[in-house]
Amino acid sequence: MPDIFVSEEIDKKKSRPPQPPQPESSTPPEPIKDEPKTKSQREALPGHTHNPLSAYCYYPEAVDFETKESKEKIVLLLRKHPITNVRWIVISVLMILAPGLLNFFPPAMVVPANFRLIGVLGWYLITSAYVLENFLTWFFNVYIITDERIIDVDFYNLIYKEVSEAEIEKIQDVTYKMGGVARTMFDYGDVLVQTAAEVPNFEFLAVPTPDRVVKILQDLRIEEKQEALEGRVR
Amino acid sequence: MVPGAFNITIWPIIKIFVIIALAIYATFAGVVLKQIKMMTDTLEVGFEAPVRFIGLAHFLFAVAVLIFALIIL
Repeated sequence: MPDIFVSEEIDKKKSRPPQPPQPESSTPPEPIKDEPKTKSQREALPGHTHNPLSAYCYYPEAVDFETKESKEKIVLLLRKHPITNVRWIVISVLMILAPGLLNFFPPAMVVPANFRLIGVLGWYLITSAYVLENFLTWFFNVYIITDERIIDVDFYNLIYKEVSEAEIEKIQDVTYKMGGVARTMFDYGDVLVQTAAEVPNFEFLAVPTPDRVVKILQDLRIEEKQEALEGRVR
Repeated sequence: MVPGAFNITIWPIIKIFVIIALAIYATFAGVVLKQIKMMTDTLEVGFEAPVRFIGLAHFLFAVAVLIFALIIL
């Protein structure tokens, strides 16, 4: 007796009329959930600001970077929370006031007046370099999240910079941590992004509202996955 | 040893070191200026002009102190 079983389902499939081929990549990419279309919509978003010194700017307007593609949209611009600057600002103020103490320091009077003057000016040069370095380090150390990738611009000191990036679809894991009194009070923390890109770890250090940053990244990841599933490629 | 001989010999040497240090600093300020230009080209956030002005002011301050030191020392 032959042991052959023919499934009815297969028969049904076979008898089904051929489906017309689905067009791929014909539909334009859908915008992310709450992408603002107009200027007023953008301005109504929480976290949107025109302040170029802002540490958190959602859908910034005047921001551009070297490798930005024409259709790429910047979703978020992040910097370290301004409160992290307090330490160097206090030190700078003390450095500015320090030459005033020379009058209370008798050994300094042995130095001729012209050398003392140049010494004070030299001290202010060092102070200005210190202020400049700290300000520029804070200002140019930015994290940019676009609808396609994340970019980390590092400005380590006055003569060294590094720009690294990873595509959103290569993000594997996003976590954030907040701890300590200052971080809890001023609502800032570190966002850690693990990727399958060349740079395995991205650290957004001391950024404001890390929970919102993680949420935005998750939304973008879902959006990218959706695009990949639907075969929509930009 | 004549009193004050130390003063006569030490200050010209210090002057040379101060001038060299200020010249190196002025060069460094020039590099910073160039770096600021590179950074503002890399990233535009609508605050480029003030940042470049700060860098330029720092460079001019360094050069002015160098020239001033050459004059008064």
